[in-house]
Amino acid sequence: MVLKAFLLGCIAFLGKCDLATGTNQLQRPIILGPLVGLVLGDFEAGITIGATLELAFLGSYSVGAFIPPNVIVGGVLGTAFAIVTGKGPAVAFTMAFPIALLAVAIDNVFFSLVRPLLARMADSFAEKGNVHMVSVIHMCTGFLTCTVLFLMVFLGFSVGSDAMKAFVNAIPEVITNGLTIATGLLPGIGFAMLAQMIMNKKVVPFFFLGFVLSAYFKLPVVGIAILGIIIIFAMLDFTGNKDQLATNIGEVDDDDF
Amino acid sequence: MTSKVDTPINAENGGVITKKDLVKMFWRSLPMEFSWHYERQMHMGYEFMIGPALEKIYKDDPEGLKEALHRHLEFFNCTAHVTPFIGGISLAMEEMNKNNEDFDASSINAVKAALMGPLSGIGDSLILGTLRVLAVGIGTSLAVKGNVLGPILFFLIFNIPTFILRYVCAIKGYELGANYLEKVQSSGLMEKFMLAASILGVMVIGGMTNELVAAKTALKIGSGKSATEIQSVLDGIMPGLLPLAATGLYYKLLQKKVNVILIIIGTAIFGIICAQFGILAA
Repeated sequence: MVLKAFLLGCIAFLGKCDLATGTNQLQRPIILGPLVGLVLGDFEAGITIGATLELAFLGSYSVGAFIPPNVIVGGVLGTAFAIVTGKGPAVAFTMAFPIALLAVAIDNVFFSLVRPLLARMADSFAEKGNVHMVSVIHMCTGFLTCTVLFLMVFLGFSVGSDAMKAFVNAIPEVITNGLTIATGLLPGIGFAMLAQMIMNKKVVPFFFLGFVLSAYFKLPVVGIAILGIIIIFAMLDFTGNKDQLATNIGEVDDDDF
Repeated sequence: MTSKVDTPINAENGGVITKKDLVKMFWRSLPMEFSWHYERQMHMGYEFMIGPALEKIYKDDPEGLKEALHRHLEFFNCTAHVTPFIGGISLAMEEMNKNNEDFDASSINAVKAALMGPLSGIGDSLILGTLRVLAVGIGTSLAVKGNVLGPILFFLIFNIPTFILRYVCAIKGYELGANYLEKVQSSGLMEKFMLAASILGVMVIGGMTNELVAAKTALKIGSGKSATEIQSVLDGIMPGLLPLAATGLYYKLLQKKVNVILIIIGTAIFGIICAQFGILAA
């Protein structure tokens, strides 16, 4: 049990290294879920639960200065408890979400207090012209958070798995059903957020085109993307003729960034 | 003789930065967000990225190095994957600053600040809005069936283009300097590129709204065997009507700047209410 908790903690540590290795999505549930599955001996459940949590947490993505619920701690513990209790993806979210909110509260202590204080140290080394120490502080600041996430998952799993099992069994059916409904709706927040970043008056019809192709014609997302690329090349001239754009499409106007 | 990678790119104007330095900057741009915080955000990551190159530029000028280090510890935030582009421009300008007495050093941070907004806009919509959606869509559609290719494809679809982009950004940012955005913009290609990306992005989001947002009503008209399921009536009008309505509502709430955490908690409460009264089916 301690070994499993330790390994799960390592998965959380690794997940946070996402931000040390190029913001490469390593921290997402779809990646960490299968790893949790490997540790707990049910690889396939890890993949499916990871995918479900990925969609549920789609909107939980850091854009600009928005700090989302902590998908690493929430995702790893949620997947782990769902596998241990054998209750599947819906339970994964009912576990993952409160844990993710708790973990982001701890994150925010670091982002608003601890790290700005460490940045002061970096300032004083910069005054002395010491590039190396500024780099060291930068990396240590990151690894400190990795370690905190390790501890949260390690303690959460070793202390909580039995307590959590009892807790999950005690949840009334109306709550689990309600949260299952919510998991279905939550990806909508993610899509709305993404749409907000790129939506403008010129492209609104294409949103509905994509929707209708899927709703009525059951076209998979890849097919929709391919059709989109065809439309783009049929509509736009990429040879650098500026007038073409102005007459055919008009200017791109960003609504609100 | 030194090899090509060791020759300063801008040697005729007294530059010292070589292609090797820019490749190093590319690698050092990877932990850009590792020490993010609310106050100055990615500033330490930025310093980490260009620090060794600054040391090289100000090799014989310790005071100049201190000023440069101080300068680049100011606020910085941008889509992480395109930051080497700004880093390259900063280095080109730092070289100018070193070799030119009259150069106004404050313009270095002015250019940085001017670039981080537009580049974040492009980067967020291309990388987070389009590429990530594509990766999640393809990855999860396989992974929900337990297929291990799902996570693998998700990872590759996102990372192969972003790593290439990072590398190209590091080289081109330095080479083309501060004029780059203006050049692309005046050729009209930037606008087309942005439009094409947003068309592709919203089409995929539209498709995924139907495919991946799930909402079905459990309400019935009448009772017993003759009851009419409202969901089948809705499907007759338009399949996916409820997911579309839910996403539209979220869109409006976000436009009104409602806190996302509140929306998520609200959704959970709404789900429980719907389960209690049988409005939506689990």
